[in-house]
Amino acid sequence: MKSHQPTTIAVVLGAVMLTAVPAAAQAPAAIGRVKIVSGAAFIVRSGTSSAATPGAVLLETDSLRTGPDGRLGVSLNDDTRVSLGPDSEARLSRYRYAPSEGALSLVVNFMRGVAVYASGQIAKLSPDAVRLETPAAIVGVRGTTVGLRVAAE
Amino acid sequence: MTVRSLGTALGLASIVVAGCARVSIQEPRQPGQDLAVLLPDSGTGVVGRARASNGAGSVDLTEARAATRVSRDRSPTPVAILSEADVQREFGEALASLPPAPETFLLYFQFESDELAPASRALLADTLEAVKRRPVPDVLVVGHTDTMGPPASNFQLALRRAQTVRTLLLAAGLDGNSVAVSSHGESQPLVITPDETSEPRNRRVAITVR
Repeated sequence: MKSHQPTTIAVVLGAVMLTAVPAAAQAPAAIGRVKIVSGAAFIVRSGTSSAATPGAVLLETDSLRTGPDGRLGVSLNDDTRVSLGPDSEARLSRYRYAPSEGALSLVVNFMRGVAVYASGQIAKLSPDAVRLETPAAIVGVRGTTVGLRVAAE
Repeated sequence: MTVRSLGTALGLASIVVAGCARVSIQEPRQPGQDLAVLLPDSGTGVVGRARASNGAGSVDLTEARAATRVSRDRSPTPVAILSEADVQREFGEALASLPPAPETFLLYFQFESDELAPASRALLADTLEAVKRRPVPDVLVVGHTDTMGPPASNFQLALRRAQTVRTLLLAAGLDGNSVAVSSHGESQPLVITPDETSEPRNRRVAITVR
């Protein structure tokens, strides 16, 4: 029993440090907001799903998901807009919008269903910084609107 | 129908496209194939460009409703043009949920002052209307100056200009939580000038309604 104690302490300390680091770090910044919702629509954050309501704040790495009767439209800080039809899912995998620091990046993974992307400032300032990914393809844009339908697996 | 024969059929379809106006990519949906379509921007109708690619190749979409299908290990299919009806059937619900494009309003200011130019006061009403049209409005107010005077004091002047506009918007009934303010000082002139140049078009506040 005694010989296990240091290990236990180390594990507990490790756990404390792991939880302490995100708490000490700055709260994640909002990257946009939900604007339009109808039917069942959700934001999935760190594995937890919550109802998407108009005005709800979005964070980098959030997933958006709709049910069979659901639709969802969001605006991001750089004026990028994304909407989903029913039975659809997309992840806001990477978002950097700090033009004064030259930090521009947008990666959206479309996993399921139907979506529309309309470009914003990131695509305007740095077209190569935008990547729309489906399971089979990567779509790059030059300031535009794109419709995507992801095939059922 | 196998994937290969579908690919051939689509290839033929795009050859037909070259000869006539448009062709419909018909259902049934093909398993394992994603669809990418270039759409005109809502409102302006402007058509940009997009490129769909994977490990096997890439296809450029350069005109309205140009579409390609992509499966994992095959090059994207040659471009075919969807009909308006196809676009509506495939993307109608998603398009109906796309938030409206942002609108920007430019207000101008008197020299070295946070006093609005008289003609710009009327634009405030337009801004308010644009805000009220939106379900969940975000308003971003960004102040700018011309290049007269030192950058540091211009940063402050631009910030005062933005705050003046914010105060006017709140007095007209907007929710303070939805109106953000920032300053770009003299760093982003609308009209490029040498330093120490008085330029009315650069003494402005840009209001973006999203």
